[in-house]
Amino acid sequence: MSSPATEIAPAAAPAIAFGKKEKATLLDPFLDNNPITVQVLGICSALAVTVQFQRALVMAAAVTVVVAGSNVVISMLRNYIPSSIRIIVQLSVVASLVIVVDQVLQAYLYDVSKQLSVFVGLIITNCIIMGRAEAFAMANPPWQSFLDGLGNGLGYGVILLAVAFFREVLGSGTLMGFSVIPAAAYSVGYVNMGLMVLAPGAFIVLGLLVWAQRAWTGYTEA
Amino acid sequence: MAHSTAYTFGFAAAVCVFCSTLVAGAATSLSDLQKVNRIRDTRGAILGALQVEGELRGEAIDRAWDERVRLVFYTPEGTPVTDAAAADLSGDGALTEADAELARQKVKGTDAPPPLLPVYQRLDEGSVGAMAIPVYGKGLWGPVSAYIALAPDLSQVIGTTFFAPKETPGLGAEIQEPAFEDAWKGKQVFDGGEPKAIAVTKPGTASGPYEVDGISGATITCRGVDAMIAEGIENHYAAVLAALRP
Repeated sequence: MSSPATEIAPAAAPAIAFGKKEKATLLDPFLDNNPITVQVLGICSALAVTVQFQRALVMAAAVTVVVAGSNVVISMLRNYIPSSIRIIVQLSVVASLVIVVDQVLQAYLYDVSKQLSVFVGLIITNCIIMGRAEAFAMANPPWQSFLDGLGNGLGYGVILLAVAFFREVLGSGTLMGFSVIPAAAYSVGYVNMGLMVLAPGAFIVLGLLVWAQRAWTGYTEA
Repeated sequence: MAHSTAYTFGFAAAVCVFCSTLVAGAATSLSDLQKVNRIRDTRGAILGALQVEGELRGEAIDRAWDERVRLVFYTPEGTPVTDAAAADLSGDGALTEADAELARQKVKGTDAPPPLLPVYQRLDEGSVGAMAIPVYGKGLWGPVSAYIALAPDLSQVIGTTFFAPKETPGLGAEIQEPAFEDAWKGKQVFDGGEPKAIAVTKPGTASGPYEVDGISGATITCRGVDAMIAEGIENHYAAVLAALRP
């Protein structure tokens, strides 16, 4: 029952190393195994918070902190968590971290926290976080789990920012709130694309990104 | 790895204690900063409704507040509260924003007006350039509230700020958007000598000085806003508005 063979990393390996395997753990989620464009997780928040670049930036940072943090905590506990209650333990850890992040945002970035409103709380239900906890942190040591969390959080963040970039520039003509479309363009008849501000705009941009990425990496659904 | 039932319960308890400590610690240690932010947020909203111009962020809000806004209290019968110490609900010797909050808390769940009705005055070089009243109501998921700013002769609305923290983003929460808030400008709150509330109508059907278009997809929120304005203007603040009218 309790055979050491369930441990994946060899016991002799140093606790903190950065070899090929770790590099892959960190970088795979950016492209080959991106949580949004390949695994198609976390779509709900990718639609909701990408109207403005700044919101997407804060959301990406918040998700990265939570997924990296929860991976580390759960990985440290992985040999002690009774398997019958493991999901609720993971959820408790994730929920606590999300509340802490929400409190910090309310204290230091109040305006952004107001704009993100319910979406900060909904990080708890983001499939990426529970997915990484269950699929990776339960079976790997803390350092690898931290890298996995960081990679997945940033991989999620990169897509979020890409979508937000197109939506804000095309939809509002601004980036981080600053005008980027010259006034001259408007005077010759350029208009902002209202569709980009609405949810369908996010679907279209996201769909194009998924297409572009899969065309590049040659990934196909099994 | 199989664990005994006692271990499982013990582990669950330990996780609960750990998580509660973490959450409680974060909430307590950050509460002062959050309170400052919330007060600034409210002040910013009132300044916005009163059409105070300028970059209103951070400490600039507190400066603008101290320079431009005067808070005056009235009784529900419309007489100004002169004995501040006697009416002081928070017990710190002067009437403050905290008292406005407490006065409202006292009457939660009834139709009765609060014992103290705050009026926020915008001062333009000593004279009153506008005044704002707070109104409170129920949306679909939680409380909604607003500050309604009126011209000094109460002839028309000059600005509003709405709060809908629990309403659905994209639907009910749209009442916080400038498109909805600006629709109130120029509307009237008096018909003859009597205070008359501005109604929120079905989207696209509003006409005249006593109606504002609702938002489609946000019917319940708009009904809540309608009821909130009616209660504020025709009930709680009726006597105050009548007394303030030149």
